Amino acid sequence: MKRYLILEDGTVFPGEGFGSSAITTGQLVVSNNRTGIEQSVTDPDAEGQIIAFTLPGIGSSGINRDFYESINYKCKGIVVGSTSAESVDNSIPFEEWVTSMNIPGIKNVDVRALSKYIFEHGEMKASIMDTHDEHAIDQIKALVLPSDLVKQVSTKQSYPNPNIGLKMVIIDLGLKYSILRQLSYRDCNSIIVNYNTTPEQVASLHPDGVIFSNGPGDPKDLPKVLENIKVLQKQFPILGIGLGSLLVAMANDCQITQLTKPHHESSLPVKEVASGKIDFVNHNHSYTIDQKSIGSSDFIVTDICVSDGSIEGIRHEYLPIISVLFEPEAAPGPTDGYYVFDEFIDLINSIKQQDWSR
Amino acid sequence: MAKEIIDGQTMTRALTRITYEIIERNKGIEDLVLVGIKTRGVFVAHRIESRLKQLENISIPVGELDITPYRDDVSADEKEKDVHEFKAEPLDFDVTNKHVILTDDVLYTGRTIRAAMDALMKSGRPKKISLAVLVDRGHRELPIRADFVGKNIPTSQREKIKVSMKEIDGEDKVEIE
Repeated sequence: MKRYLILEDGTVFPGEGFGSSAITTGQLVVSNNRTGIEQSVTDPDAEGQIIAFTLPGIGSSGINRDFYESINYKCKGIVVGSTSAESVDNSIPFEEWVTSMNIPGIKNVDVRALSKYIFEHGEMKASIMDTHDEHAIDQIKALVLPSDLVKQVSTKQSYPNPNIGLKMVIIDLGLKYSILRQLSYRDCNSIIVNYNTTPEQVASLHPDGVIFSNGPGDPKDLPKVLENIKVLQKQFPILGIGLGSLLVAMANDCQITQLTKPHHESSLPVKEVASGKIDFVNHNHSYTIDQKSIGSSDFIVTDICVSDGSIEGIRHEYLPIISVLFEPEAAPGPTDGYYVFDEFIDLINSIKQQDWSR
Repeated sequence: MAKEIIDGQTMTRALTRITYEIIERNKGIEDLVLVGIKTRGVFVAHRIESRLKQLENISIPVGELDITPYRDDVSADEKEKDVHEFKAEPLDFDVTNKHVILTDDVLYTGRTIRAAMDALMKSGRPKKISLAVLVDRGHRELPIRADFVGKNIPTSQREKIKVSMKEIDGEDKVEIE
């Protein structure tokens, strides 16, 4: 069935529908992921997003249903150039999977032209529809995207991920399960709480460290979380990931800007400033920390993106705060970034040792 | 049989972490000087210095300390031999009123560190001396502890810890045997 991807400025990309036949709208995100499609689509960051995958033969590595990053996936739509009917081992073919997930998809779209267009004009709203008449274009123009994405994905109720090691409280802004997997691997005793949990409630859980997770949307929509960070960072070691790291930066007077070329790629190189070491890590963010504002803050830049020089990791000079904009838990992508979790645990342990020996 | 317990990547990470901790706990790096204990402590000092330079864009002095004549854990014969070979190389900067960070590869009995402090005191009066080591293996014989530790490795006294560093051994690793 012929369907159309319509951008908010009226540009139309024709294609063929697959998956759900519902009309859908959302923020269009261009992703260069080749593998781990199931991880990208089930990532809570995809809340309210239509994801356009630029590489051909999407699904050729199979869809593994053991690799989900959330149960209640909220991806609004999938745009691809071509798909693959391949199914590997216990996986299911891509198109069949999209249908089973009830997500609208559109294929045979000129994704190269689309991604070029987006890089030139910036990220915008988009819609997958059956027609592309004036009425349809007016509709997408008039659409206001929700600004409470985090509220939609954050857990309503606290829940534990019990283990025997350090106690982590995770502020769920759109938590990916792979963060929990990495913490479980390191024996961390985690408690996951709603994003609006007060600092007093967090403190009453007596954590060794507090983690602000990844999540969807604009960090400027979450002023209350900023206030909470300001209180919590004086009491506990903090790790910020993705959206969480942007909030940590904002809480310490850094400015946030939009990337001209957003990072949605499972394998983008990042350089550790101190040692010059290069890691390939998963990125999924449209915002970055303003280079100028970091100079006057108490942060030092620990990691930069090699391809465009944007800030990817910061660390507070005096307080135990580590913050990375990329996604150290990978899923999808190479696992080079796992060390961030080790670093956070080392940081907590060294503080404990210091306190003890004093 | 030697068993590798720290690989190159972990060592790199440990040194980077020590660097962050030095920045954190000193509220900036003014007044800092690094003094490495020969041989591998010097390389540790240089690596920390290069990281500080990358991160803070400030170059801080690095000194080398030969503590052979101050040691109390070598036999008299050996010491005599060493003393003859030893040429007093004073630090080429003044440590008075500086915060000195002593660096070494392994912290064991603490006797090396005591000797290093003796040597350091001879050349001035530092405001403060801190200690950064790559590996703390325990079994202290003196009341000394490290302020910055790359990795705590509990050992028995029968075991040996061997640190290799790229600059002199061709690769980065720590082995136990």
